[in-house]
Amino acid sequence: MSSDIRKWFMKQHDKGNGTASKPAAKPAMAASEKPPAPVLDKSVQGAQENSGRRKTSKYFATTTATESSSKKTTKDEKVTEKSPAKRKAQKITEDFQDDVKPVPAKKFHKDEDDDFVPSNDRKKAAEVKPSKKLNSRSSGGISKNSVDKNDVDYDEDELDDKYVETPVKAGGRGRGGRGAGAAAGGRGRGGGRGGFMNFGERKDPPHKGEKEVPEGAPECLAGLTFVISGTLDSLEREEAEDLIKRHGGRVTGSISKKTSFLLADEDIGGRKSSKAKELGIPFLTEDGLFDMIRKSKPAKAPVQEEQKKKTLEKVEKSPIKSTPLKVEAKDQVGSVGRKDAAKIVKSSTSPDKPKIQSADRSSLTWTVKYRPKVPDDIIGNQSLVKQLHDWLVHWNEQFLHTGQKGKGKKQADSGSKKAVLLSGSPGIGKSTSAKLVSQMLGFQAIEVNASDNRGKADTKIVKGVGGNTSNSIKELVSNEALSCRKNWSKHPKSVLIMDEVDGMSAGDRGGVADLIASIKISKIPIICICNDRYSQKLKSLVNYCLLLNFRKPTKQQMAKRLKQIADAEGLQVNEIALEELANRVNGDMRMAINQLQYMSLSQSVINYDDIRQRLLSSSKDEDISPFTAVDKLFGFNGGKLHMEERVDLSMSDPDLIPLIIQENYINYRPSSIGKDDNGVKRMSLIARAAESIGDGDIVNVQIRRYRQWQLSQAGSFASCIIPAALMHGHRETLEPGERNYNRFGGWLGKNSTMGKNLRLLEDVHIHILASQEANMNRETLRVDYFTLLLKQLTDPLRVMPKEEAVQKVVELMDTYSLSQEDFDTIVEMSKFRGHPNPMEGIQPAVKAALTKAYKQGSSSRVVRAADLIALPGLKKAPKKRIAAMLEPVETGLAEENGDAVAEGEEEYSSDSEDTDDLGINADGGAKPQLDLLSNKPKGVQVELDLKSNGKSKSGAKKTPAGKSKGSESAEKGPRGSGGGKRKRAA
Amino acid sequence: MLWVDKYRPRTLDKVIVHEEIAGNIRKLVSEQDCPHLLFYGPPGSGKKTLIMALLKQMFGPGSEKVKLENKMWKINAGTRTIELELTMLSSTHHVELNPSDAGFQDRYIVQEIIKEMARNRPIDTKGKKGYKVLVLNEVDKLSREAQHSLRRTMEKYSASCRLILCCNSSSKVTEAVRSRCLNIRVNAPTEEQIIKVLEFIGKKENLQLPPGFTARIAAQSNRSLRRAILSLETCRVQQYPFTANQAVPPMDWEQYISEIASDIIMEQSPKRLFMVRGKLYELLVNCIPPEIILKKLLSELLKKLDSELKHEVCHWAAYYEHRMRLGQKAIFHIEAFVAKFMSIYKGFLIATFS
Repeated sequence: MSSDIRKWFMKQHDKGNGTASKPAAKPAMAASEKPPAPVLDKSVQGAQENSGRRKTSKYFATTTATESSSKKTTKDEKVTEKSPAKRKAQKITEDFQDDVKPVPAKKFHKDEDDDFVPSNDRKKAAEVKPSKKLNSRSSGGISKNSVDKNDVDYDEDELDDKYVETPVKAGGRGRGGRGAGAAAGGRGRGGGRGGFMNFGERKDPPHKGEKEVPEGAPECLAGLTFVISGTLDSLEREEAEDLIKRHGGRVTGSISKKTSFLLADEDIGGRKSSKAKELGIPFLTEDGLFDMIRKSKPAKAPVQEEQKKKTLEKVEKSPIKSTPLKVEAKDQVGSVGRKDAAKIVKSSTSPDKPKIQSADRSSLTWTVKYRPKVPDDIIGNQSLVKQLHDWLVHWNEQFLHTGQKGKGKKQADSGSKKAVLLSGSPGIGKSTSAKLVSQMLGFQAIEVNASDNRGKADTKIVKGVGGNTSNSIKELVSNEALSCRKNWSKHPKSVLIMDEVDGMSAGDRGGVADLIASIKISKIPIICICNDRYSQKLKSLVNYCLLLNFRKPTKQQMAKRLKQIADAEGLQVNEIALEELANRVNGDMRMAINQLQYMSLSQSVINYDDIRQRLLSSSKDEDISPFTAVDKLFGFNGGKLHMEERVDLSMSDPDLIPLIIQENYINYRPSSIGKDDNGVKRMSLIARAAESIGDGDIVNVQIRRYRQWQLSQAGSFASCIIPAALMHGHRETLEPGERNYNRFGGWLGKNSTMGKNLRLLEDVHIHILASQEANMNRETLRVDYFTLLLKQLTDPLRVMPKEEAVQKVVELMDTYSLSQEDFDTIVEMSKFRGHPNPMEGIQPAVKAALTKAYKQGSSSRVVRAADLIALPGLKKAPKKRIAAMLEPVETGLAEENGDAVAEGEEEYSSDSEDTDDLGINADGGAKPQLDLLSNKPKGVQVELDLKSNGKSKSGAKKTPAGKSKGSESAEKGPRGSGGGKRKRAA
Repeated sequence: MLWVDKYRPRTLDKVIVHEEIAGNIRKLVSEQDCPHLLFYGPPGSGKKTLIMALLKQMFGPGSEKVKLENKMWKINAGTRTIELELTMLSSTHHVELNPSDAGFQDRYIVQEIIKEMARNRPIDTKGKKGYKVLVLNEVDKLSREAQHSLRRTMEKYSASCRLILCCNSSSKVTEAVRSRCLNIRVNAPTEEQIIKVLEFIGKKENLQLPPGFTARIAAQSNRSLRRAILSLETCRVQQYPFTANQAVPPMDWEQYISEIASDIIMEQSPKRLFMVRGKLYELLVNCIPPEIILKKLLSELLKKLDSELKHEVCHWAAYYEHRMRLGQKAIFHIEAFVAKFMSIYKGFLIATFS
């Protein structure tokens, strides 16, 4: 119904206005420099008052839309601005009456009047208008929400809308009042419920996902600063932040005077809320926020359409409008200097700016155009710039004077280095600061960068003139000294800037060394610049340089500078958007400016969403770590990512990401399930995700085994995207003490352990087969035999008397030709977490006895490894490990000496071992370990050590013990030394 | 020596369980030329024993003198060379190997190595058979490609070489291969047969077997003779003399799986699933084959399940086992099964009790 009324009024209005404006518009078209004022239907008056009113049609559409929507909410309470509005409105109606006169000439005149002789209203507007034009406009739009729209004074109000536009503050505050009211309610509610939250742990929103998140006008929250506290009713905190930012608001972490609202659904009495109360900052509930946003929502599409149509009917469209505008603006600006002009334009006719600028936009890229001109312009790192400045200022005194006066080459103090090394990530102004500082101090900067050949100079510098760059550097560096000696102050001083020193690569052989040499002899300051100060290549250079590490500028600093640039270029961007941009480029000022320029090509108004989208798509070009990718996929708004982005994310490392996803998907509480009392929904989602991960594995087999690489996308789809889409949400920990970050995929580790164990099992298997006593396959061995084998091997040690037990076990081991290592394999593989260790309850002494008994037997043991001799056609000798196990005595020597060892020596070595053993009998634990050291292949040695020593002594002593024993035996005689050496090596 | 090996029949005459098969094979070998053979049957039924006895029957005691070779093979596969390491047991008359050890490269083993071996005629043939024997274990684990390459070899070199294939399930051996062999199904021994064997061993070992004790071991052995004998010896190690109601200890891993099963039944939550994953990894790391884990887990779960769910759970177990074989990372599929089970069971519990 209200829309009907509106139509009716529109017609009324049109009738009154249309007749007036149409004739006005036609001449405007004819004479192309006609001002477009009448073109804007209802805002005719407005346009005349203030050139700022002139809007592009796009803009216009939204405003009208807002109007219509605001019209719908007619039942709102009256607002304070009413009376001034009325006052203004009257004035306008006067103007309006003037306007209506269909004399084109006069029209034109009027308009000029408007621009050059600002009316009262306009002055007023200019006064109130804050620097943020954009914000003011949009919030003006919102303020209409609160404006009462009665049918009767509709016209008036409409005018009012146009005029009230500027007093943002008023609008904001008006709403602020309401917000506060709402918050009071919220506080009451919170009081009832509050206090259940513990510090540091944030509960899930109680009504998660149950409310519909409103969509509002893009800038409806502009100029407002929010602080979020506690758990909200239905939104995750990140979602709330995103929502506010999307609508132009700002979210800060802590309360300050600038904060407009504290967004909280319950008063948890934390620091934030108490401070907010102190500062009198209104509370706002989530519902309040939603209302706020919803109010700003444009009217329903049909209405808007209709309006547009109407606008079209009676209005000449933008192309015509824009040309005169530009011309006019140029006229206006013509006389004044460019900069001033820009300023004027900024303060008065901001919508026109882009057009003006586009006219005189130079071909320079912005990065060059807005390169800082004086050191003070450099963003951030001012202290470093100062340091650099000081260093450069004092350079000559410090080095040239002392040198001249022959006070020796000693560097005066440790602080003074002859060169300086600037380091920091790209795009933060290292080169710029170097150049600026030297320029400011009157140095002539000679820049050498990666594009020049910087290899080692020829030793004869004479050759250098006109030769390659490195030679001329040498020459430069040393020649300057000559000129300096005469009167250096009068000569142009120069400074050498070595850019990108960490990029010295293959082509620049000896570059760094030569650079260091140059620094040593240099008579001019050298500034080196690099990205990565810890680069291996620069290790030596670092010692000769004063290190200045440039930090990334903060996003506020960057946003400020970007704002300046945007303003100068006539780009409409709000600060939130710029901060977001600064945030996204990760401190790279150059990239930020490039992005800004790129975006300026396609649009003149840039808002938060644009930046988000642009940089989301451009950020894929960066390296992204698997963890970040997984975080994004599983993140709370993982469901909002474009499919392409998800594919990109999952493809950024198609091997690792599925594993990380698989490892972590259980940890997520899916946000899509909403309320889930008993966890059934979550469990079924997990089941679906798990199945999809299984799909991914199957596809992966096809890819790898049959090289069906065209399936890789399907694979990443099944293994990453579907599970992530099902499970994305809030991560929670499953184990106490777990950090709430994604774990690395456990599969890799487990799989390699499994591989190792399989190899060990295979060794056992082979030994048993070699014994010719049994013939089974590997699986059977593990599944059926192991339990009994373990019992047979360990039980006697536990229950029977030592001698008997040892004898029995060794007998069994000999029967199946099991080595000591196999024994350990069997024990190791029968261990299950949560079950008792099979070796428990066995005395170390018994173990030692077992080892000894086995050793003794080894000399008489039939060496079955004869079966393993290399066969013709065999390229590689059988694996050392296997050989080692089968020939316990031989291996040590064979491995070490690499040739066949005389048997006598072998015997001897075992003798020496025995003597060792005797000598060490005192400590039972160390002895077996020694034996093991000598006989065990490397891989398993560690485990053995742990076992034998964990029981006997402090584990740390092991290796030294072994070594000292070795050296002991070495001392016993020349022959003993062989044994000792062997032990150590083994 | 373990009793399993100690009392393994070495010749066809001494076979206790599959006497009929043994008799037939003996006739086959002694009377006429032996065809390719395919032994299949569940684990612990005596296939390997029969094969060993058969070889002895064919070649005499010479077949028992085996040596173990660990060979590295270099295979030219088009653009690249593949190095394969393969362990084989060989006597002068036969070679035994396990081609599926090579994983997905098993086809090169079949194409190159087996062909190579089959091609060469045995040198010393006087008074012996004019062929040699290749024993291939776990043929059902060979990939399809490998089995396809196998059948050509079987035809072409049948003059100089006989293949004896051994596997658990003949359904995983392609029809082409099956039709080229004489298929011998070795059934799992019945419980009575197992009891007979156990009592035979008991007599030999001079054990006092309480009545019903062997029957219980046999019942628990799942009709695997090997398992039964091993259990008997485990009991012997654990406690002797036997008592009538002595518990037969389960295998360590079986016990662990049944713990997992009761974990799953007790609680169905992401937390529990995570815990179960850890335990499953533990089993896999200890080299328990994933198929066996899944099978055992299912049977443990079924024990504790309401009958109306059994059908569905079995269906899903089969589904995920199939997928596990298609895939590579077994844990994913076992975990998926557990998750599925939890989801079903939880839904069921809530539907019935609340």
